[in-house]
Amino acid sequence: MKKLVSLLLIAVLALGMCAAASAELLGPGNVTLKRLSYTCPWDPNNDYMVPIMKEATGYDVDFYALPSNDADNKLMLEVGGGADYDIVTVNINQWRMLLAAGALMPITDLLNTYGQDILAGNTDEVWATLTQDGDIYGMPYMYPHSQEITSFLVCRKDLLNAAGITELPKTISGFYDMLVALKNFYGDQYIILTGPLVAASEGNDSWRIPKCITSAFGIYSDWMVEDGKVIYASESPKFVEMMNFFNKLYTEGLIDVDWAVNSESAVQEKFVSGKAIICCGSRALVNFTTAAMIDQLHISMDDLCYINPLYGDDGVCTYQESEAINQVSCVLRNAKHPEDAINWINTKVQNQLFINIGVEGVHFTYDEVGQISPINPIFANERGDSYYYIDATNAADYQFQWPSRIRKSAGQWHAFNATTITNPDLSIFVKNYFKFMPASEAYATNNTALYSSLQDLILQMMAGVKTEADLATFANDFANNDGEEVRAELQAYYDSLAK
Amino acid sequence: MKAKTLSPEKDKKNINHIPMDASEKVAEIIAYVVLVLLALMAILPCLHVISKGISNGTAVAAGSVIFWPVGFQVEAINYVFTRTAFFTSLKNTLIITVVGTAIAMFTTVTTAYPLSRSDFKGRRFVTLLYVISMVFFGGIVPAYMVVKTIGILDTYWACILPFAIVQFNMFIVKNYFEGLPTEVEESASIDGANDIRTLWSIILPMSVPVLATVALLYAINYWNNYFHVMMYTSSASMKTLQLYLYDIINNSAAITESLYSTSFEGTNYAQNITTEGLNAAAVSMSLVPIIAAYPFVQRYMISGITVGSVKG
Repeated sequence: MKKLVSLLLIAVLALGMCAAASAELLGPGNVTLKRLSYTCPWDPNNDYMVPIMKEATGYDVDFYALPSNDADNKLMLEVGGGADYDIVTVNINQWRMLLAAGALMPITDLLNTYGQDILAGNTDEVWATLTQDGDIYGMPYMYPHSQEITSFLVCRKDLLNAAGITELPKTISGFYDMLVALKNFYGDQYIILTGPLVAASEGNDSWRIPKCITSAFGIYSDWMVEDGKVIYASESPKFVEMMNFFNKLYTEGLIDVDWAVNSESAVQEKFVSGKAIICCGSRALVNFTTAAMIDQLHISMDDLCYINPLYGDDGVCTYQESEAINQVSCVLRNAKHPEDAINWINTKVQNQLFINIGVEGVHFTYDEVGQISPINPIFANERGDSYYYIDATNAADYQFQWPSRIRKSAGQWHAFNATTITNPDLSIFVKNYFKFMPASEAYATNNTALYSSLQDLILQMMAGVKTEADLATFANDFANNDGEEVRAELQAYYDSLAK
Repeated sequence: MKAKTLSPEKDKKNINHIPMDASEKVAEIIAYVVLVLLALMAILPCLHVISKGISNGTAVAAGSVIFWPVGFQVEAINYVFTRTAFFTSLKNTLIITVVGTAIAMFTTVTTAYPLSRSDFKGRRFVTLLYVISMVFFGGIVPAYMVVKTIGILDTYWACILPFAIVQFNMFIVKNYFEGLPTEVEESASIDGANDIRTLWSIILPMSVPVLATVALLYAINYWNNYFHVMMYTSSASMKTLQLYLYDIINNSAAITESLYSTSFEGTNYAQNITTEGLNAAAVSMSLVPIIAAYPFVQRYMISGITVGSVKG
């Protein structure tokens, strides 16, 4: 269907290009802009954020949302049908689809005239990603904290202490020793380690094994770079060692026997109900589990602690930076008010603190070290939905402002502070070389299947159904599923970065 | 030995009573057990969802809610009612279902009646056109362009008119009309009734069962329509209940994350609005209109299974 829609799109755009948009800035109060964005569970026109943005920018805006299912087809169908949204805020893949279909207006001149704050708010590297043939076609909303520990282990400190464990492990062997000690002390009374978290809401952490453990084996993603060569995780020299380690945990009863079939909610239930001592964690998970455990198990926040990415016994620890671009805002060729669209977004960037975080003394205060501390519940009630209305940011400012959104939840902040803020070793972070890679055919067509096969292999090797001897078969399947073509695309992109 | 006497009433009741033998009793017990199990299979999931929607959020997160609420609360339902587009979506769905069904019944009856008359010229050709359009669908892109071209995108009409006649339903009604005795129409004609009067005063009153069934099929079609409504509407104010449910279930994690907060004193706000609790509350509230309407339409649903099957 996408091809058909693309043909339709090209035909309509050819006609649409003949229609002239207004070539001047009409200004706030003289125009109603149209903005289309990703799915929204509430009516985006009736949210408390709408008058706040009106107060800050003076502009009236009609907000439209894509559906949660079939969003790509709906987007292409609408744009192909001649939709005249002034701003379309989409994920980077959807932006690439629109760009490839010729649906986007070059906005370099508009940014130079009306969007100086947007331009100044992001790095040249990011702008280069959104540029084609010398023209900028999109404005970035950057992921605000690229060096975040998105995968960690949450532990019941009270149970650890009762078992005589007073210090958290930093290395993989120390971690194993801790699990064994817990098993020896508690026997089958508790699940020692439950997981995985396969539906992490952010980042690329939907692995069947937590990345805070794979870090000790130098494995941080499905595709990695070693000595300038792109390799697949299964080809990593320590992949077999890693899987043998997980198989040992599984056969010795140190991890949840339901590991292969656990859903995210099942993992959450086991931890909150007090059946498990350690749980694979994420920021989204602890947002609820911590408060729920305090309520259900009558423990305190201090009874929880967190294990950061583990080091190998050789001192190796690798953890990939989070993906960089959250959303891209762009202007359609059929837009009626492109100048005002850029001006509106630029005014929002100028008022970023007010719109997204609020007013000092009302919605937040500054703590003793100068960090933003939210005042609840007014912060959540009057700025909780602000994330949906962001089109572009001053990335550096937002990196400072954004943690306040985590801080509004004590449980979430407790974990974020322990893992990301106070984690001093930034040397563990590995750059995500492919974060800005343009869409490529083999990758788009085959990588999901390759990734799924890898996750299956991991579970099978963990359970002992498959062993090192089966890696040759996996390599054959990998080749048959065009894995080499995907690798060639990634290698070519990586080589182009090196030049 | 004293003769057994029965009251006249009891005698009357027992005249037609044939006592069951042991095997029949066993069969009946098995039938009841199976039916009870089937009923439980239908009821328990609903109970589970409703219980989650009104249970304490931490109990939901701990997985301790099974079929009965634990720590009653209505925060999640209150959020669904006050902060989401539930009522707008419900209103849209009701308007589309009621107006759509009325229009669809009009088009269906006024199409089926002439096509059921053997003296209607061109009947075979027109019927063939309906058969062709029933078998072959042009696809969503041409359909979208038609809806756009006639200027009804993002309106109620876009959700109603494309489904104003479902060929299958029209053929059910047509077949039923064909089965009615022609003598009745002839006598109406002799009495001076024209075609419209005959249809309105004679045919339709005789066709209440099929009309009720087909109206129900249309209503279900409009109520459940997701894909086309999603494609033909853009505004949040045009969202129907099906779209609303999809969106809230797919976004509940983001909603709860943005709502949840803790005061300096440690009070947790929105603690009862968990991802699963929110989903459960939205789904539970969406069940209410169906549960309320079902007792009134139940018999037509059952007759819908057999209608039109006698004459094909």
